Amino acid sequence: MPSQEPPRRRVPGPARPARPRPAGSGARAGAGGRAPRPAPRPAARRPAPRPPARRPRTITLGRPKPRLRLISVGLTLVMLVFVVRLLQVQAVDASAYAAKADKYRYQEYTLSAERGEITDRNGIALATSVDAYDITADPKLFTPEESKVRDAPEQAAALLAPILGKEPAELAKKLRTPKSRYTLLARKQTPQVWNQIKDLKKVYAQKARAADGTGVNLLGGVLSEPSTKRVYPNGDLGAGILGYVNAEGRGAGGVESMLDPELAGRDGKIRFTASGGRQVPTAGSQGTPAVPGSDIELTIDRDIQWAAQQAISDQVRKSKADRGYVIVQDTRTGEVLAMANAPGFDPNDLSAANSAAMGNAALQDAYEPGSTSKVMSMAAVLEEGKATPDTHVTVPNRLHRGDRLFKDDIDHRTWYLTLNGVLAKSSNIGTILATGQLGKDQAESNRVLDGYLRRFGIGSPTGLGFPGETPGILAKPEDWSTSQQYTIPFGQGLSVNALQAASVYSTIANGGVRVEPTLVRGTKGPDGRFAPAAAPEENRVVSEKTAKTLAQMLESVVEDREGTGTRAAIPGYRVAGKTGTANRVDPELGRYKGYTASFAGFAPADQPRVTVYCAIQNPTKGSYFGGQICGPIYKKVMEFALKTLHVAPTGSESARLPVTFEPTP
Amino acid sequence: MSAARGPLKGRAARLGRLMPSGPSSAARTPFVLLVVLLLGGGLITLLLLNSALNQGSFKLRELKDRTTELTDEEQALQRDVDANAAPDALERRARELGMVPGGSPAFLGPDGKVLGEPTVAPSPKPSRTPSRAPARTADPGTDPKPTPTGTTPTATAPTTSGR
Repeated sequence: MPSQEPPRRRVPGPARPARPRPAGSGARAGAGGRAPRPAPRPAARRPAPRPPARRPRTITLGRPKPRLRLISVGLTLVMLVFVVRLLQVQAVDASAYAAKADKYRYQEYTLSAERGEITDRNGIALATSVDAYDITADPKLFTPEESKVRDAPEQAAALLAPILGKEPAELAKKLRTPKSRYTLLARKQTPQVWNQIKDLKKVYAQKARAADGTGVNLLGGVLSEPSTKRVYPNGDLGAGILGYVNAEGRGAGGVESMLDPELAGRDGKIRFTASGGRQVPTAGSQGTPAVPGSDIELTIDRDIQWAAQQAISDQVRKSKADRGYVIVQDTRTGEVLAMANAPGFDPNDLSAANSAAMGNAALQDAYEPGSTSKVMSMAAVLEEGKATPDTHVTVPNRLHRGDRLFKDDIDHRTWYLTLNGVLAKSSNIGTILATGQLGKDQAESNRVLDGYLRRFGIGSPTGLGFPGETPGILAKPEDWSTSQQYTIPFGQGLSVNALQAASVYSTIANGGVRVEPTLVRGTKGPDGRFAPAAAPEENRVVSEKTAKTLAQMLESVVEDREGTGTRAAIPGYRVAGKTGTANRVDPELGRYKGYTASFAGFAPADQPRVTVYCAIQNPTKGSYFGGQICGPIYKKVMEFALKTLHVAPTGSESARLPVTFEPTP
Repeated sequence: MSAARGPLKGRAARLGRLMPSGPSSAARTPFVLLVVLLLGGGLITLLLLNSALNQGSFKLRELKDRTTELTDEEQALQRDVDANAAPDALERRARELGMVPGGSPAFLGPDGKVLGEPTVAPSPKPSRTPSRAPARTADPGTDPKPTPTGTTPTATAPTTSGR
């Protein structure tokens, strides 16, 4: 309303006689006076027509002043609206609009970090990542309306099936997905596969163009998404150790899962101004680069791992056993050179893998070790000074202890054995008799033996930190049942994993010092610098003298005619070893059923370099004795390891400790 | 403003002032040219710079494509190498060549002393070349292993790579 009021009020204005102010009008106008300014002009221009006073009505229409007012007020209002809107856009909602603009102006991409490699001790890749493509499709482009062909999905499927190695029907079904714009045809294909499809697409695009531009590219709806694929170049070799990755590419088992943070690296980001999907070169970009994952170097030797895996797989198949493990360990450094499981799996193709075989059974199975653990009882007896290898032990046919009658694995007349002979012939009764000497009473003997077992690493994790690793089972000595106090000395009533069992022999081989087993040598960071793993813990379990004596006693097992491990002998070498044939607790039945055959030992006996441990669970065909089925595996793997590591025979003569003695009548 | 001088010379003076004076008109042409040149040159330089940058971005894309292509090729070749170098494949090929696993290792010292007990390698099952009894020689060669004489591939060839 104010726009109307002023003109009405000032209508009489121009009719009044003009004020004679020719000069200085500009100065006044600058001051902003409203009334004086329009007045001079009519006065100056039209001094004459003033007398005729009957024409004012036509003039009022032509008078600019009210119009100008109206317009200026209108403009002011419009400007006001603009200013308000400007303030709103620039000040009030500024951040929201800026963000919206950025969304269109900038493009942001995640730079996926390259996953680190896992290599063996010589740098041979055991797990690596390669570029791959997920082949996808847009089913809408295969509908009859879009493709102008009725059976487009079938035609396309027939073309793609041989390239992707899939059933045409399956692909056609995916391409027929109704009301969808996305379907995944095949995962993680090699770039070569995608190239083939691209070439095929090009051919069909040309064909479509040739058909007067009316044709539709049959394969136009086939697309790809870049991705990466984890590859295990050696297939099932060391699969139990390496583990596998899940669909997202994160570690889901084994070392892949154990060291996932190191392997994964850190994803980066890039943000740049884009126009038409392409970076504007002058606008610059910002972001954080991806940090590739570290490479992990394992202590595994690929060749020894292969030999171990080959040997155990063969034997497990031949014996129709549940499973088997072989561990090869460097006695001096505690490094695990091989850890083989049978049956294994191929981490490249998990869909075909048996889920029961997908773990690392050598670390995840706890079982009763049997006679191979007698060596710890002997170590205790020798270290406590209760006996020497020559101590005479008279072994009766049966021994009554607690509520049980103990016997040896074969029925025999009374044996007259030395302590060395007890180990060589693996006499349970002899071991019970020997360990009975450890303390004044059975309770004290139990405590002493328990101390040694624990120092040998039984009942505690090996220190690898491997996912799913079992610490084994060893009850506190005061909780040992009546029968356990007599069975634990010969390896029943306690549980270990295969690496713990191997580590016991490495400890003896290493002069009585237990070196914690290691599986990772070090990591190579993104800067290419190798960071060795922390030095393993070392602690002395038995004296060097005891360890030497034990090594000589273990030689008798393999070399003596009456020993149980003669099949493990390697001509030219001094080999120390011990057989084991344990009653196995069936995990399903929860009671003893079947056997665990095992063999453990090291070579050369006088200057040990390598420990090999082998165990086979529940052999059902042929022999089930450790010396019979695990001895040859030990021999095969040990020979291979000695050759690979270039360990020559020491050339010294073996001790040949006596096994029996002549009883004095 | 004109208020001070206007009344003195009148309309003629005002017109005269509008006319350019002699010497200044001569100096103005090169200046205008210079400005035009500078502006034009700047524009063209900017244009060139921009297109050079764009050229760079095309080149970058081209090179990136090439890198991808070469990476793909490298990975494909690596896959082939791995497949051939896998222990399983090596064993198979060694057996095809008539080699057998080495058995118990024996070493030959530089002084001709034999460590270990060398044995005759068993003949391979599909006997393509009749295995002769390899005579043991105390040849103090560079090979630490007692390699029997003769060229029979059935000798105690170890399956290990001998690293």
